[in-house]
Amino acid sequence: MSRLSGGLIDRDTPLNFHFNGRSYQGYAGDTLASALIANGVRLVGRSFKYHRPRGIFTAGSEEPNALVTLREGARAEPNTRATMTELFDGLVARSQNHIGSLEHDLLAVNDLLSPFLAAGFYYKTFMWPRAFWEKLYEPAIRRAAGLGALSMEPDPDAYDKGFLHCDLLVIGGGAAGLAAALTAGRAGARVILADEDSRFGGRLLAESDTLNGAPAVDWVAAVCAELDQMPNVRLMSRTTVFGAYDHGIYGAVERVADHLPTPGACVRQTLWRITARRTVLAAGATERHIPFADNDRPGIMLAGAMRAYANRWAVSPVPAGDKVAIFTNGDDGHRTALDLIAKGVRVSHVIDTRTDAPRFGDYDLLSGATVTGSRGRKGLRAIRVAQDGRETWHIVGALAVAGGWNPNVHLASHHRGRPVWDESALAFLPHNPPMGMVPAGACVGKGGTAEALADGMRAACAALAELDFSAKPISLPEAQNASAAQAPYWHVPGTRRAWVDFQNDVTVKDIALAHKENMRSVEHLKRWTTLGMATDQGKTSNVSALAVMAEITGATIPETGTTIFRPPYTGVALSVLGGGDTGEHFRPKRLTPTHGWAKAQGAEFVEVGPWMRAQYFSRDGETHWRQSVDREVLAVRRDVGLCDVTTLGKIDVQGTDAGEFLNRVYANMMGTLKVGMVRYGLMLREDGHLFDDGTCARLAEDHYVVTSTTANAGAVYRNMEFARQCLWPDLDVQLISTTDAWAQIAVAGPKSRALLQRIVDGFDLSNEAFPFMACAELTICKGLRARLFRISFSGELAYEVAVPARYGQALMARLMEAGADLGVTPYGTEALGVLRTEKGHAAGAELNGQTTAQMLGLGRMVSAKKDSIGAIMSRREGLAQDRRRLVGLKSCTPEVQIPAGAHLFTKGATQSLKTDQGWVTSACYSPHVGGYIALGFVENGDRRMGEILTAANPLEGQSFEVEVTSAHFVDPEGGRLRD
Amino acid sequence: MLIPHPLLGLRDAQEFTYLGDASLMSRPAPEAGEAAFCDYVFLRDNPAGVHRELWFHEQGDRSWLVVTRDTVTHEILGAELASDYARSSS
Amino acid sequence: MTDLTPITALGAAKPAEVSHGSLTLTERPDIGLASLALRKGVTCPEGLPAAGEATDRVFWIGPGQWMIEGPGQADSDFAAQVKGDFPGCSVTEQTDGFSVVEVHSHDGAAAIEALLAKLVNIDPVALAPGCAHRTALHHMTVFVIRRADDQIAIIGMRGYAGALWHAVDLAARRLES
Repeated sequence: MSRLSGGLIDRDTPLNFHFNGRSYQGYAGDTLASALIANGVRLVGRSFKYHRPRGIFTAGSEEPNALVTLREGARAEPNTRATMTELFDGLVARSQNHIGSLEHDLLAVNDLLSPFLAAGFYYKTFMWPRAFWEKLYEPAIRRAAGLGALSMEPDPDAYDKGFLHCDLLVIGGGAAGLAAALTAGRAGARVILADEDSRFGGRLLAESDTLNGAPAVDWVAAVCAELDQMPNVRLMSRTTVFGAYDHGIYGAVERVADHLPTPGACVRQTLWRITARRTVLAAGATERHIPFADNDRPGIMLAGAMRAYANRWAVSPVPAGDKVAIFTNGDDGHRTALDLIAKGVRVSHVIDTRTDAPRFGDYDLLSGATVTGSRGRKGLRAIRVAQDGRETWHIVGALAVAGGWNPNVHLASHHRGRPVWDESALAFLPHNPPMGMVPAGACVGKGGTAEALADGMRAACAALAELDFSAKPISLPEAQNASAAQAPYWHVPGTRRAWVDFQNDVTVKDIALAHKENMRSVEHLKRWTTLGMATDQGKTSNVSALAVMAEITGATIPETGTTIFRPPYTGVALSVLGGGDTGEHFRPKRLTPTHGWAKAQGAEFVEVGPWMRAQYFSRDGETHWRQSVDREVLAVRRDVGLCDVTTLGKIDVQGTDAGEFLNRVYANMMGTLKVGMVRYGLMLREDGHLFDDGTCARLAEDHYVVTSTTANAGAVYRNMEFARQCLWPDLDVQLISTTDAWAQIAVAGPKSRALLQRIVDGFDLSNEAFPFMACAELTICKGLRARLFRISFSGELAYEVAVPARYGQALMARLMEAGADLGVTPYGTEALGVLRTEKGHAAGAELNGQTTAQMLGLGRMVSAKKDSIGAIMSRREGLAQDRRRLVGLKSCTPEVQIPAGAHLFTKGATQSLKTDQGWVTSACYSPHVGGYIALGFVENGDRRMGEILTAANPLEGQSFEVEVTSAHFVDPEGGRLRD
Repeated sequence: MLIPHPLLGLRDAQEFTYLGDASLMSRPAPEAGEAAFCDYVFLRDNPAGVHRELWFHEQGDRSWLVVTRDTVTHEILGAELASDYARSSS
Repeated sequence: MTDLTPITALGAAKPAEVSHGSLTLTERPDIGLASLALRKGVTCPEGLPAAGEATDRVFWIGPGQWMIEGPGQADSDFAAQVKGDFPGCSVTEQTDGFSVVEVHSHDGAAAIEALLAKLVNIDPVALAPGCAHRTALHHMTVFVIRRADDQIAIIGMRGYAGALWHAVDLAARRLES
């Protein structure tokens, strides 16, 4: 163990964990990374492409190297950053991307092959022979290059989502963020303070700075306690705000239970959609490194991270007695030396690129020096330092690298606000951030503790002033600004590989090669080298790469440009983006009023949009669905059948202009409909094509109930509201959907009248009193309010009876009981489809958006006496001259099925688009006909009765002979309906 | 996005169904003929910039709104009830 | 009185009720509902709530449109009664179109607001007592009425009653843990 004194770990709570099968101990407050370092584990993974040994490089979410597979079994999660993983008792983690052990990875041979694996190698090396690409190269590359593997088991955990609203969202809980939140909280604004870390404080937890002369954590604790007491403030730790969206909407993931062994009754993560009137972005900064030869060995780490490990986690990067060196281009690296020395760690040298480097303490300072190489295959053993033209090796166990800090501008650039280069800060600063966002603190280059605190307060006041809150300045703690002086120094020149992007294995050489190959724009550089395109989005590499590119081209950094960032800031699991609804709750199900009854009858259900409808009712002895469907169809044609048709859209239309309104939205005349009657109606789109069909029942002079198809219920209602509000706002008409209010049951078949007669309360159902297309409000079953419509989809004598939905199930049961001696049979959507196909009624397949009233043979329904939606355009030449007509098709071999979607050709003709005669829309087996039948649109179909056509299904190489017939296979005269 | 509903204040755009160019409200008179309907049905502006467009508050009060939005920045410059807009512009 | 036996929207004989921590969910099939729409040229009756608001028995559902509630009147012809109360208006029977879930908190507003944050994307400021909004909940369309600090009603389409109950029940259960 290489523990130091102090730190924010709880030494009274030791925790056991396993890494690659070995058991270790850490403390509460540790991350997996800090605990591994404390246990002397330096090698934690293999690199993406070259399988180079890698160690922990950072102490935060920017970590490029230390990606592990966390947990086991179904909960195993690959590519988890050890630096963001809070230690819990029993934690199990494994390293990734190696064959054999981590120490003896067989794929380390890739490192020797590196000359073949340089930038763009995919596009060059593996092009030939072509046949090898899919069979050999791709599988081999996928196996060799990559990260962890999924468990391939279902995720056992629960996720959920939520919505938050606030006046001020503060992103980042460091010095600036805490000052902003406190300022806004005291002003009474509704504040959300979110931080990805498990505790607030940001760099205040990682530095040795004092506030008001006391450890900074004391002030952090006091501020958090005060904020926690405020009802207007919501503190959200372990919450990453990953994306900025329009108008102040932010996406955030709260890791509710990731720090626990298992979530238990909790959800694991919550996706929050935060709507913020204003936002302070206090996301801090990420340290950059200085590429030099072989700079990727375990033990080489960012200087700020090494400081954080020492101060926050009381961890030394080396065993006691070993030495640490610091390589820096500015004063910040010296802080690491001072903090390590204060904790008793031996510092070998501070190697400063500046010739006039200042000295801040008692350590060996090498000015104007650089690190030019390293040794140690599985962990750093020595570094080579060049000074005044001389190179010397120094034995060190760890090297801290400080290349300056890159403000975390990510969220500020999510709306394409391109960061701008600031030469004095040597950093890209946010520019044109999203509306309502005020960046503050280290993410605008104000990283000194005192200036970050002040800037956070300023940002909160500025944001709130726009919202009419009078935020008063708060008294900030006494703080210092550590010197941040630095001189630009971007990489150490050399001939060996110097890594820029560790996660995607991109080196300075790759950038030079890309430039040589004319990939000169930043975007091309990115894509050719894959720099910055790994899971860390190049947090530690992008700016350094730009600087290297600028140096190669001889241009300035601003001339070289920059890329911007897209959400998410860090990776977000698909399971939480899914919002948590899975399995049977994947989407809400809409049940019919008779659902429970149908289920008890053993119905099979089918999804129709959100609705679950009974598809058919299997009976004992039936082994195939066709047996059930045929039986149901025949029962309707012979006796009487029952079908729940509640799902059809129902819209209540009232008002003195209701008739006129319906005249305008239906192609046919509705205003002349008599009270107590129903009319079939066609709706067109304004372009003249068919939109929907349904019925229109007039219950009173100023009251209609119209129906739509199940599928179009929403669209029809929306369109009618469009007509009412946008086209004809002066008509007196009111609309409201009543689909769910009424359970509607189709009672169809020759014995339907006899059955209904048994349940109506003295209502005269005779043909004279209640003819075809009549409707009435009545009572049934001793006083239940009901509506009765004499309409038929099956071609038989039929009715639809509607009752308040709560009685639907009881009514179904009653009809079954009352009609037992009549042979009453429930039928599902399959039989419904067969019945309507046999009768030639159009449904979804015939109303597919490309068909017209004429094609259905209903051209005369489009009234010329009035204007209606689509009427004018339905008469345009192209549609008016269309000669395709709906016909029936009979399979010439009755037992051979006609595939719906097949195209129709004149017998013997070549089959091409030019000779196409139409297509098959709906097909089924007709027990009435005793063979397979279909509906389809055929060129001049109404004049081709009896002709034999070829139905072709080129996808399956099939071809069938079909006979053109009337679409009305059943009762073409329509006598049964009117009996 | 947030749509400033004239009666209900800011509401999330997820509650709305988008239709498009508000010129769809200017349906020609039937006697204007086929060419006028052709223009109405098929020809619409698609500006990069300020655009008047129709949004339906489907998961809300079922109002059609005319929303003036900059399609480049997504800034919303105003919203009114389509029925008010239709009456005032007729 | 009919001899048919009604069932609740959840498909049971009796209304559902469940408690999780400080929240109690109650299905209310007894509430009669009827929608009311103003006709052109008819002056708006007094006392109807403004946009986004609710009174004791009425909530606003759209421009010129309200829903009238009649607790205990689901089995009467409630629409006919409303029509009598508002002559000259368009009235539509809605009792069976919806499923009403009342959520009561035994622990004040905080639990209600925590529940709402998991269900609907409406700023709690706009859902103060006396407010009513129609919005999306798990891809369904619902009315949310803030009856009081410690009470809301969530009213969803009847066909979705099971899915709505599941969503609210699960959210309440998770708040408990």
